Amino acid sequence: MNGVSVKEADIAVLPQDNAGSEEKRLGFWLTLPAQCLVLFIAVFPILMQLYISMTDWSPLDGIPWYRAYELWIGFINYTDLASDSRFWAAMWRTFLVMIVCVPIQFLLGLGLAVLFVDEFPGKRWFYSTLLIPMMVVPAVAGYMFFLLFQSGGPVNDLLSLFSASPVKIAWLSDPSLALVAVMAADIWQWTPLMFLILLAGMISVPQDQQMAAVLLGASWGRRFFTIVLPRMKTIIIIALAIRTIEIFKIFDTLYIMTGGGPGVATETISVYIYKVTQQDLIWGYVAAIALAILIVLSVISAIAISRMSKGANAR
Amino acid sequence: MTQIALSNLGKKFGSFTALAQMNLTIGDGEFVALLGPSGCGKSTTMNMIAGMVDPTEGDIRFDDRSILDVPMSRRGVGFVFQNYAIFTHMSVRENLAYGLRAQGVSASERNRRVNAMADLLQLTPMLDRRAAGLSVNILQRLAIGRSAVVEPAIFLLDEPLSNVDAAFRSVMRSELKALQRQFSQTLVYVTHDQLEAMTMADRIAVMDHGKLLQVGTPLEIYNNPQDVFVARFIGSPGMNILEGTIASSDEGKLVDLASAGRSAPLALSDRAASQGLPEKVLFGFRPEQVNPDPNGTMALPVNFVERIGARTILHLGGDGLEAKAVLDNQIAMPSIGDVLRFSIDPKMVRLFDPVSGIAIGGDI
Repeated sequence: MNGVSVKEADIAVLPQDNAGSEEKRLGFWLTLPAQCLVLFIAVFPILMQLYISMTDWSPLDGIPWYRAYELWIGFINYTDLASDSRFWAAMWRTFLVMIVCVPIQFLLGLGLAVLFVDEFPGKRWFYSTLLIPMMVVPAVAGYMFFLLFQSGGPVNDLLSLFSASPVKIAWLSDPSLALVAVMAADIWQWTPLMFLILLAGMISVPQDQQMAAVLLGASWGRRFFTIVLPRMKTIIIIALAIRTIEIFKIFDTLYIMTGGGPGVATETISVYIYKVTQQDLIWGYVAAIALAILIVLSVISAIAISRMSKGANAR
Repeated sequence: MTQIALSNLGKKFGSFTALAQMNLTIGDGEFVALLGPSGCGKSTTMNMIAGMVDPTEGDIRFDDRSILDVPMSRRGVGFVFQNYAIFTHMSVRENLAYGLRAQGVSASERNRRVNAMADLLQLTPMLDRRAAGLSVNILQRLAIGRSAVVEPAIFLLDEPLSNVDAAFRSVMRSELKALQRQFSQTLVYVTHDQLEAMTMADRIAVMDHGKLLQVGTPLEIYNNPQDVFVARFIGSPGMNILEGTIASSDEGKLVDLASAGRSAPLALSDRAASQGLPEKVLFGFRPEQVNPDPNGTMALPVNFVERIGARTILHLGGDGLEAKAVLDNQIAMPSIGDVLRFSIDPKMVRLFDPVSGIAIGGDI
């Protein structure tokens, strides 16, 4: 008798399938308000952009933003964007900065990580020094590089020293060289971040697997390319994705160095948006540009995330 | 097929001595276990043989050639790590082929040897599976296979069974022993588990605090520990060590154990007799040698009774004299508080010097 009653008690305590799904439903309703709030905060600015981008609204029109439908123009901003050569030039310039800076930052960061993964005298000192550029406020970095690349600045002095004849390159006012100076500043400032992320990834590669590879007769290169790099795959994708997305946001350093000029020679997408917003005040059009960039960045992130989950599955 | 000779090997980390004065020769094709508690220097010894750690003193020779300046990728040492260090981002086949590929073996030869090794270790069905997510016993065989496929002259195994559950461990013990016979390579096996060392090794090297204490066959180590540490460490439970004083009787010398009584007259070896005995000694006997005997000369109260199936362990003690007795269950078992009267076969008594801890007279 006793045994039976114990069994019944056990059954009552066990969560049954029905009860489980009911619990889930209850949880859904209980968290719904909070979820709506979070969703609203995340999505509202984007929805607002989408709305404004369908209108010809500007703060100068004297009507509040929610009545922007009075200036509804549909997809005209987007068709304008498609044929806006200044926009596409800015996009192309941003892309150029990306395909030059990100690989250089990656290779320099990886090289430094290889050097710093082993102990050597003075490592801590070098390590701290290397991270300084990352901590400089971008506006200050912009000013520093503005001075460096003056026609009478240290960069030219250094070049004069090597070429043994006075060099007077007007870096920042030469349309074909200004972007090079901007890229140099970006590489200087953001290689340390790449280095930091890659070093963290490299340190986390299991030591015994590397030892096992060496004991099996692997050379340094074989160990690096068959064990270390494949095991860093996820962190490499993260580092590349962060830097790629950040390139689209390049603004302060560049704006102080060149102001996007000479002409539009260094006008990247962020500088272009700033100019359209602050100088031309056509906010409907800005919203359309912003959404277009959001789509581009989302695609980049999606590719990175899918690569990463593939990498995680392989583990 | 290589003989390993360690001579005066030592390793210091700063002021800490991890290993000192290690002298050991491991014969061609021999299975030697380095046995000791954590921090005794056994893994340091192993890592120095492999080349992962450089010694600060002494020499390591493979077949009479010093290998200290040979980098670890050229030492021809197969190493099985405690956690196997399988390349989990590769398939089983890629893992097995790794060493051959690194050594530039041709593709056809590589395939042949990988398949042969997979056959031997029953890994063929999962050759093309990813190594991540395989069970521990498969990872273990894969780790051995990955090292064995390059046919190293020497095999080093670092506590390979410590991650395996108890039931599987006994299976792996016999499997490892069989594999070693098959490969017939010189094998050094690091473990803190005496059962593994006793069952598999040809010889055991017992270590403690960076020192090699005794080298011998499992039975030698068990029967004739050269030192109190080895005596206590080997056996489960270890040897009982009681402090006593040498006394004389009509039948010869015996040991007075104060409140525990007196031992039977000692059966001293010629060497011990000629050496002479110190006044105070440590009196050692295996718990299995406790022989309940109403006329026994020794007696200790029973503190605790531990039943472990076929046998029972009695915890005896009083007045600073602690001992254990292992008895078969067939006999009438005393209960807690009783005084157990017993005798010890004089041939089974081992005496140690109380100052140095070293066995007196070797075999008695």
